[in-house]
Amino acid sequence: MSELLAIDGSARAIALRTLLVSGAATALAVLIGVPIGYAIARRTFPGRTLLLGLVNTGMGMPPVVVGLIVWLLLVRSGPLGDLDLVYTQQAMVLAQFLIATPIVIGFTSASIQALPERLPDLLIVLGAGRVRRLWLLAREARLGLLVAVMAAFGAIVSEVGASMIVGGNLERSTRVLTTAIVTETSRGEVERALALGLVLLVLSFIVNLTLTIVQQRPR
Amino acid sequence: MMDLECHGVRVERNRRAVIEIESLRVRGGRTTAILGPNGSGKTTLLRVIAGLERAQAGRITFGGAPVVSGSSIAFVFQEQVFLTRSVRDNLELGLRLRRVESAQRRARVNDAASLLGVSHLLDRRADRLSGGEGRRVSLARALCLRTPLVLMDEPLEGLDERTYSRLLDELPQLLSAFDATTLLVTHNGREALQLAQDLVVLVDGRVHAAGDKRDIATRPPTSAVAEALGYFVLSAGGRSVAVAPDALRIGTGAVPFSMVVERVLDLVERREIVGRIGEARVRVPIEAHEVPPSADDVVIVHAERSNEVS
Repeated sequence: MSELLAIDGSARAIALRTLLVSGAATALAVLIGVPIGYAIARRTFPGRTLLLGLVNTGMGMPPVVVGLIVWLLLVRSGPLGDLDLVYTQQAMVLAQFLIATPIVIGFTSASIQALPERLPDLLIVLGAGRVRRLWLLAREARLGLLVAVMAAFGAIVSEVGASMIVGGNLERSTRVLTTAIVTETSRGEVERALALGLVLLVLSFIVNLTLTIVQQRPR
Repeated sequence: MMDLECHGVRVERNRRAVIEIESLRVRGGRTTAILGPNGSGKTTLLRVIAGLERAQAGRITFGGAPVVSGSSIAFVFQEQVFLTRSVRDNLELGLRLRRVESAQRRARVNDAASLLGVSHLLDRRADRLSGGEGRRVSLARALCLRTPLVLMDEPLEGLDERTYSRLLDELPQLLSAFDATTLLVTHNGREALQLAQDLVVLVDGRVHAAGDKRDIATRPPTSAVAEALGYFVLSAGGRSVAVAPDALRIGTGAVPFSMVVERVLDLVERREIVGRIGEARVRVPIEAHEVPPSADDVVIVHAERSNEVS
């Protein structure tokens, strides 16, 4: 139990790395996924339903499969081997970004579709420019948009497979909380694994609580 | 007051023209109703004027200059569209976006809310209003913008009968408060005649009649215009005549018709015979003391007034 109370320096580094990798992947997924989700929700184009079907499938994509695909792309003999990214934090961000993006797109699209259909038109005739319009729409859809961020972060901060495959679980560079828990458990260090598990839960709680406070602020 | 003009406006959907207007002039400072059956392109025309949809060809000007969405226009939507904020915030939004300073903003919102009778709703959530309240708030939102051009898409659609009659009675006076060129879309001839001074009758995306409502309503030029106004278009001696819905009576007269009875409607305070004259479906009132006909009976009815249409 002493492990639970005394988190050492290496555990702090692992926790910080976890936050950094998953935070960066979530931020990128939001940056790319929100506009795509918005476009799918508001526009009609050939193949829209097929695209939504693919996005919805992507929302449940097994991380280990994503990890395997990214590893095959980044490994030295792979098509992107020259980038020398395999077993780096960037590779982990890339894999987690691919897991998180469909989740962000799916939730964004659903939350934008739930807004009154004529709301963008209203904002146009009231005189809102493009940026102001998007900001006002995002505020209206913020319940759903923050669910998108929470779901995406939750999915990638807790995944093991992709991080293990593309990151390699290297002790001082690519080990994150989930892969560290696997390592400690396999070594028989159950107390330490439990302590890291608790850190992961607390980390996830703090991030989600912050987002929930933003989400539930009175309008 | 500035006129609104459309020249060579053509809107296509799936390579089919849904609006094709060679020339149309809406007189400034008046209320004009765009009247037409469902699918005639009324709402599309209004959206094109507002800049919410693009025309493939043509020019729309207001006071000689192109219409600019968001500065010279107020738009009242058929649906209730509000941000999930208070009524006051919703009314103020357009004024904020137009950089109206805060004291003037408050004054304009209070004036418009008072005129529409929604002052007591200002602190309520706008997205939780009833149909009638929402419609009044939508009108107040348009009013407080004080724009020279006001566009209204079926402003009374979907209201319960009591709220509808009340707003229909109040709206002409409210429209005069706008002191603007007002264009409103409706598919209801009675509503158009009650609310507007001028009519534009749109059928299949084309203007069939435009001008003073008296000229059009007393002598509808075509059967399509007559039908848009709610008239029955009947065949009499090889000619087509337009008959106002309240002009048919039981018995013979100058313009008689044979009517095949389908059923008699008991509306408590009055009764009506529903039936067919040729292809047209008509209703004729029946006096309380008269013996009602049975289904499939043929009765003679006449038009108290009618006019020939092409």
